[in-house]
Amino acid sequence: MDTQFIGEHLWPGKLGHLFVITTFVSALFSTFSYWRAVQTEQSDAYNSRSWQILARNGFILQTASIVGIFFALYYIIANHLFEYHYAWEHSSLALRSKYLLSCFWEGSEGSFMLWTLWNSILGLIVMNTAKTLETRTMTIISFVQACLATMLLGFYFGPDIKVGSTPFMLLRDQMQGAPIFSSPNYLSFVKDGNGLNPLLQNYWMVIHPPVLFLGFATTLMPFAYSVAALWKGDYESFVKPTIRWSLFSGAVLGTGIMMGGAWAYESLNFGGYWAWDPVENASLVPWLTLVAGLHTLLVYKATKRSLVVTFILFLLTYLLVWYSTFLTRTGVLGKTSVHAFTGEGSALYWHLIVVLGLLLIICIGSLLKRWKQIPRVKTEEATSSREFWMFIGSVVLLLSAIQISITTSIPVWSPLAKWITGKDVAPPVDPMAHYNNIQVWVAIIIALLSATILYLKFKQSDTKKALKRMGITAAIAAVLALFIGITQQIKAWQYATLLFSTSYAIVANIYYAIAIQKGKLKQLGPSVAHLGFGMLLLGILLSSYNKQVISVNTLGVVIPFGKSDAENAKESRDNVVLFHDAKVALGDYYAIYRGDSTSSSDPRTFFRVDYERIDSATKKVKEQFTLYPDAFVNPKGQTGLVSSPASKHYWDKDIFTYVTSYYVPKDKGEFKEHTVHQGDSIFLGQGYLIFKGFNREINDPRYVPQEGDIAVTADLAYYDTKEQKGELRPIYYIHDKYDNQITDTLKSEGIMARLEKILPEQQAAVIQVKQENPKDDYIVLKALLFPYINLVWLGVIVMVIGFLISLRNRLA
Amino acid sequence: MKKTHIVLLVLVAAAVCVIVSMFGDFSTYETFASAAKQPGKAFHVIGYLDKDKSMDYDPVKDPNHFTFYAKDKSGNINKVIFNGEKPRDIERSEQIVMKGYIDGDAFHCTGIQMKCPSKYKKDQMVVGNAS
Repeated sequence: MDTQFIGEHLWPGKLGHLFVITTFVSALFSTFSYWRAVQTEQSDAYNSRSWQILARNGFILQTASIVGIFFALYYIIANHLFEYHYAWEHSSLALRSKYLLSCFWEGSEGSFMLWTLWNSILGLIVMNTAKTLETRTMTIISFVQACLATMLLGFYFGPDIKVGSTPFMLLRDQMQGAPIFSSPNYLSFVKDGNGLNPLLQNYWMVIHPPVLFLGFATTLMPFAYSVAALWKGDYESFVKPTIRWSLFSGAVLGTGIMMGGAWAYESLNFGGYWAWDPVENASLVPWLTLVAGLHTLLVYKATKRSLVVTFILFLLTYLLVWYSTFLTRTGVLGKTSVHAFTGEGSALYWHLIVVLGLLLIICIGSLLKRWKQIPRVKTEEATSSREFWMFIGSVVLLLSAIQISITTSIPVWSPLAKWITGKDVAPPVDPMAHYNNIQVWVAIIIALLSATILYLKFKQSDTKKALKRMGITAAIAAVLALFIGITQQIKAWQYATLLFSTSYAIVANIYYAIAIQKGKLKQLGPSVAHLGFGMLLLGILLSSYNKQVISVNTLGVVIPFGKSDAENAKESRDNVVLFHDAKVALGDYYAIYRGDSTSSSDPRTFFRVDYERIDSATKKVKEQFTLYPDAFVNPKGQTGLVSSPASKHYWDKDIFTYVTSYYVPKDKGEFKEHTVHQGDSIFLGQGYLIFKGFNREINDPRYVPQEGDIAVTADLAYYDTKEQKGELRPIYYIHDKYDNQITDTLKSEGIMARLEKILPEQQAAVIQVKQENPKDDYIVLKALLFPYINLVWLGVIVMVIGFLISLRNRLA
Repeated sequence: MKKTHIVLLVLVAAAVCVIVSMFGDFSTYETFASAAKQPGKAFHVIGYLDKDKSMDYDPVKDPNHFTFYAKDKSGNINKVIFNGEKPRDIERSEQIVMKGYIDGDAFHCTGIQMKCPSKYKKDQMVVGNAS
């Protein structure tokens, strides 16, 4: 029997699903037609042209359908159509409208859709600019689009095999068999959606995913051009567009990654902008190989060398982008990542393996086909040449990517290791130290090279001149490094080395830009990008080497902590209790917790913490400010806090704080009963309550009047010895012959009052009151100090500007 | 042999050394019993919260001291001491991955990661009254 369900809006979903199928079919059609256009290119130019036109139309239709999917899904989410599983799962009525778009990327379907959308927009650009390579690049791009479209299909083959997952699934289809769906008016019971993960309700999360996915989409273009060049055997015409695309890609992907860092810094509480978390690593690794590929391609353009390695790097970059999707979306990382991705089950797992397999076949196939023909230069490059060192730099970046990948992929290869050795391999106990200890050497080498390379020339440099300039800049850098090293007390020798090499990168690139390039904007791209990279590394070094936990707890028992390392012990005891109105020393500051506050327009609770800094000599308050770290208290179905940090920004440091726990008033017992008449007082520890009388007018969101109810409040006013401090209005009501009470609280004074019953013949009220000492109220806080963190952000911005200057120069 | 090849060989050799040495950094998944064989050495232990025994976190006494009992994969129950705040939602965790070492009777934990049930379970659907 088919039930007719009431109140459903089925047309946006049907339309959306139609768009999904159109996307898939037109992408396939476009792939096939472009492929035919390539095949008939030599034999039948007229026919080839017709195929090409067909394919273009196919691709345009495909793009239009994706835009259609986007709007259909947006309509569903914006109108809160909870009959759709996607809207129900990822949004809620209370969600602020600026976060509506974030719902798109909370779910796997929405983020695949975003990725496809970017691909098609960039694909249209390639279609119109690739000229002789259009048919081949677009075959690849359309093929990737077809693969991505399968992710949204949601087709079942038999009961067990599911291909893709559609965002237009109805709630009742997703949860077949749940009893609620047997009633035709089930929708009237589904009042609200599950809501967006509180961690994603941050402005960085509105902008970080689209930029990151745009970055992912841009990596397709160097890949498509590389395959097209190999396919055609034409190693010239792909160079210029590939340089442009990889410059754009480096800028966008780099921005996307660091926006993720900014989000982590501002809303996650793992205490920093980078934690070497698998999810972060998965997006960093393709960026490293992409940047390496860009540099070897520049070498090829100038000297005809390094072509093979360029192809390998660009093909690998795109494979790594899909591999990162595999790592982050299938749940394979499971127990090793802090990110809240849930696995989509084995369907997506195998689906992504198939796509990765197909891409791998394309890569290996096209490389093998041309392996012998790819032009190589027989002679040796000079040691003083730019290309020699650029090549080495690129290899170092690749090795760095390999190291990060091996550790990140532990959950992937550990079953194999267990089968061979019998050991169940786990990630390092201290991943930060693990990565830092190795990658510091990569950073040192790359920083040195990024400065040196510009002073060398392609093919042959004037060694004497170059060495002289390097000597001068290195001497300035050494002075700078010595100054920073002493003032910042950087003692570990490998980090002191890094300090010198980053200083050198900064000084040498500035010197190069001003003295040699005479500040001509057109050519400044490389030196600005390298300068930004050097600043970024220096910022990372200073902010993490001298990261300081200022909330080290000095109360309580001291637990022996295995390692004798004092730093480690400090890190592990970084929670401190702040009692209401009590002053606690945090480093150079004093912190005072002043209470919490909520508002009706924001679901978060804000904890007010006042800070003051007192001059040690004069004992005067030098500085005062207030921070409001906030948290979602007991978000839906969970207990505890999902907290976001609050920071005080200075130009040279940030004070970064977040609440890890808070005082939960004990609800049970301790109420005292009082029978009072109008005007009577109830005496409490520090003040008294006056019963001002009953009131029939109730303005309390917690009570919704229903027919037949009798409801009344007792109006109470609280006075301390001086003045009135607040009012309480506990509610008593009779509903369906039963009496009910709604307790009211005066939080600032810790008073709770309940109107237990009414004695009509005596005109009296029985009121239960308890007062807790407001001094019991406390929060548990962590506070960290990040010196020179602004250098990190500034470095990224400068680097991206460098990429963009180069891009502009290459477009002109 | 070209210079590039020599440098490449040196780099690859260095990389191989680094990669081999980094295997020493990798930890292993153990049970409480096998971790107890090397007290003081840090491992990963996968377990489940023992809900019958008490959890203890009193920030007023010590905000960096949280104790609970966990059952490992072989079924042994052990006391766990975590130097930090009580992790949110640990009551509902399906599985806990604990980083730490055995010292005396207790497992001293420096990091906890939990697997919680998906928040999208049927029984958690927000259902209101028809009005």
